[in-house]
Amino acid sequence: MSLFVEDPAHFSKSRLKSDLVAHNVALPHTKSRKEVYVDLHLKHIVQKNAGDFSSDDEDQEQDLADKEEEEDAKILDPNTLTDDDLKAALLEHGVKAGPIVASTRALYENKLRRLQQSEGQGHVNGVEKGSEAAKEETAEQSNQAQQGSSKNGDFVYPQCFLLSSRLRVHATRKREPSPKRNLGNVIKSSEQSRPPRSQIPGGITKASPVDQRSGLGSGFPSGPQSVLSNGGSSISSQPFSITLMVERRKSLSSSTDTERDLNGSNVQEHWSRSNRPDKPIVDMCTVKNQSPYYTPKESPYKQKMKPSQEPVKDTFKEMFSNMESSPTGMCATRRRPIKGAAGRPVQYAYPDTPTSPITLQRRKVERRLVPIHIQILVFIIVACLLYIIYVCVEDNSFSPFVALLDSLDPGSESEEGLMLQAEIQDTAVFSGQE
Amino acid sequence: MSSTSQKHKDFVAEPMGEKPVMALAGIGEVLGKRLEDKGFDKAYVVLGQFLVLKKDEELFRDWLKDTCSANVKQQGDCYGCLKEWCDAFL
Repeated sequence: MSLFVEDPAHFSKSRLKSDLVAHNVALPHTKSRKEVYVDLHLKHIVQKNAGDFSSDDEDQEQDLADKEEEEDAKILDPNTLTDDDLKAALLEHGVKAGPIVASTRALYENKLRRLQQSEGQGHVNGVEKGSEAAKEETAEQSNQAQQGSSKNGDFVYPQCFLLSSRLRVHATRKREPSPKRNLGNVIKSSEQSRPPRSQIPGGITKASPVDQRSGLGSGFPSGPQSVLSNGGSSISSQPFSITLMVERRKSLSSSTDTERDLNGSNVQEHWSRSNRPDKPIVDMCTVKNQSPYYTPKESPYKQKMKPSQEPVKDTFKEMFSNMESSPTGMCATRRRPIKGAAGRPVQYAYPDTPTSPITLQRRKVERRLVPIHIQILVFIIVACLLYIIYVCVEDNSFSPFVALLDSLDPGSESEEGLMLQAEIQDTAVFSGQE
Repeated sequence: MSSTSQKHKDFVAEPMGEKPVMALAGIGEVLGKRLEDKGFDKAYVVLGQFLVLKKDEELFRDWLKDTCSANVKQQGDCYGCLKEWCDAFL
């Protein structure tokens, strides 16, 4: 977020305006000059964030109070707007207003007020998310979904834990190029109290978030974090965006709110459980660092360790970015909808097989069949045979069969049989002559 | 509104001409008096308001409520009758 590196005076007017809207600050008159916006920006946004040094509870209350005040101010606004402004404001809420004249103005004012109120309720409900959350989108949403889905939050902890250390790395690194401006901005980024890191050595900072969150922290094994926070201060070349950092930071802050309600023993339990995911990573790092590549010196050791730590974490996060992690560590994805079943629209098209099973079957059958020209040949042969048989039968008129019969039982011959035989023979001769 | 009143049918049957505001469905004597006091003496003036609100039901209902404190049924009757008249004659 460029908010943390730029001065509000360098922003464009529209940018300032959107920032103010995002922070729920009542906008000044449309025609007012840029200085007015800058002043408002400084007053509401920078101060609000810079003043976040006190404890968490106070901040929350203060935020809430701020928002309510701003809400009121905004709700009273429509009366003072001009017709055009009123129309524009309605348009911002997605309402296409008709002509705003004397008889309709009151109605549109009411409508705008109602819209603002309904939106304001949304804000109050989502105070944890804050208005800044609107700017950040995807990763944070998944984080918040996690928090919403299960309140015990023991799986949120490892994230916070790792990220808080990482965040500190960014902050310190960021401050190196331009120290004086970023000091305020970094503080701004952390909505809740977090002492400025430059004044506190790494050994102390490592324990402070633990104290804030769980209220114990003394018996807590803070080995990995101390290493991280020490190593982070010297690293300067890593492609991490500030937006990512802020998102993580916010998820952290909102998660702490939910967990503050838990009693101490619970929190301790969560801590000990949530430490487990960290340990393999750290172990891996140390194993890597024992390779002969690294010098035995202390500080480079830690320097090297940090880069090896980050990619591991990132791949892990990427792998499970769209899954909600569960306390048991098991992940489940949603079952794919059955293709077009029960009249549902087809949401997932299965990859087409090269040939359908029916065609495959047909091909198999075809492979077994004799080729068509052989079939025709066989048909012709059979037809010829049948024709020849037919012709023979017609010409010889049973004579071979009768002769066969006669030859079979010659003993029982009578005169009539002989006569018949002669007769047949005659006919046979006759037909042979023909 | 499953069934429409006789007043509604009468109003929707013909151009409104110079009909008084009380000819509108849902606007009786009391509401008609209130509207007349506010300057809406003819039905076409109410129609004008209806049209300038872009025939938006929500806004028109709110306006009727604000102007003559009509109840929900009266609002609905008046809106329905003007809407139907517009569909037929506009």
